[in-house]
Amino acid sequence: MADGRVSAGSAIAAARPRVVAALAAQLRDLDLAEDAFAEAARALIESGAAPDRPQAWLYVTARRKAFDMLRKRRAEARLLETMGAEPDMAEVLHLPDPIPDERLRLIFICCHPALATEARAALALRVVCGLPVAEIARVFVMTEPAMYQRITRAKAKIREARIAFELPPRRLWQERIEAVLLTLELAYTAAYQDAAGERDGELAAEIDRLAAMLAELLPGEPEILSFAALVALARSREQARVDARGAMVPLSRQDTALWDCAAIMRAQDLLERVNRVGGGGAMRLMAAIQLAHARRLFDGTVDWPAIVALYDALLAVRPDPVVAINRAAALARAESPAAGLAALDDIPGRRLARFRPYHAVRAELLAQAGQREAAGDSLRAALSLDPPGAERLYLEDRLEALPELGD
Amino acid sequence: MQYLLLINEDESIYEGENAAKVMEETLAGHMAFAQALTGKGVEFSGNRLNPAATATTIRWDHGSHTLHDGPFAESHEELGGYYLIEAASLDEAIEWAKLIPVPGTGGIEVRPVWPMDE
Repeated sequence: MADGRVSAGSAIAAARPRVVAALAAQLRDLDLAEDAFAEAARALIESGAAPDRPQAWLYVTARRKAFDMLRKRRAEARLLETMGAEPDMAEVLHLPDPIPDERLRLIFICCHPALATEARAALALRVVCGLPVAEIARVFVMTEPAMYQRITRAKAKIREARIAFELPPRRLWQERIEAVLLTLELAYTAAYQDAAGERDGELAAEIDRLAAMLAELLPGEPEILSFAALVALARSREQARVDARGAMVPLSRQDTALWDCAAIMRAQDLLERVNRVGGGGAMRLMAAIQLAHARRLFDGTVDWPAIVALYDALLAVRPDPVVAINRAAALARAESPAAGLAALDDIPGRRLARFRPYHAVRAELLAQAGQREAAGDSLRAALSLDPPGAERLYLEDRLEALPELGD
Repeated sequence: MQYLLLINEDESIYEGENAAKVMEETLAGHMAFAQALTGKGVEFSGNRLNPAATATTIRWDHGSHTLHDGPFAESHEELGGYYLIEAASLDEAIEWAKLIPVPGTGGIEVRPVWPMDE
């Protein structure tokens, strides 16, 4: 019984994007599509049925539920006509592919550039992935009512300002793909900001699913493929990034035996496809950097000069302090801790003093350079900037491990 | 569905050294925009507005009002004109709005009209 419930749950999650997208494209109403899907999912669980093709089953049932809801509303008689005849379950289950694939349309709607980036991320996670509002709120550090309101507002804008349910013409795809990437990156950053946080959430798995889906839907887009590779690489380290005590383990100290080799191969395959397609920008460089780290699994080495070169290229397209800080850390490995510290000092920006990664990396490089006292100061500065739980434990461990501090 | 395209821009671009030339080019841009709309059979109307210095604002505060010399929003960018166009979706309205010439800094606000029968 418990097993049956688990498999129904995962079948529902797997079917969701495709079914909700097809419903939304026909109904032109995100709420109705979501409600109909939820009803169908409930019917599947309650019936205890185990259909051979749960996706088709859910689609047909959700369409029926939508018909019922529309009938109740009575107002949208015209829409009922455009949906066509009510399908027969037995008939549809025998069709090879009864559900029109509208997932890209749904993603383009949820990630529309006329919506604020934060609203897009929330909407995509809610509508496409079916993540509970409470979970989305937790990831974006908001209260549940505030997140609920954000999602409701975004849906209202789609409805009232009439954001198109049609796929945009090809010439506009670039802008739309950029909007999708920005959305996904925000969700990805939120999912991985706390090394331990994702363990109690489904977000990382959902973003992986979404990225893989987009790579399938847009196989010719280098940045989409690269993003999928980036997510696969992050996922490959899930078991290694937190130790038994719940403390963060930085990439260079992770036990490669805990890395997921299949996920790394998946990323490698995606990046080989990017090579064939050509083009790409920041995502491609970020994925290449992470893949270069993954090499440690195969021959135990990391090509630090190559990583510095990749960071140089990334810095040119994305001149942002996080990139510059990571570049300095790589330079310390490629050349010397002093070179890394000098690079760190060269980063412009007065706000760096309030930026935790800056102090964390600085502490690391100072410790490598043997300047334990200064390293301790930097660690304390990082600790004072409210690190998430797993990182706090790690920073505290580092502070304790600096032997001269006890003197 | 109707959309109002509000043109907010920094007026100073029309006052500098090349003022006449900028004005001429911008007007030509608006003519081309109107022709493009007409060419596609899009219903529209629109007007340019006199500079913000000519504006008068009636400010209300819960039933009492005062007259104010100047535009409603005091900012570097002022409302300078508008179009009211017919479009099937926000996406279509945005595509049109992108064609409105803005020679300096500014922004086009796209607002769906809320019909009285809804």
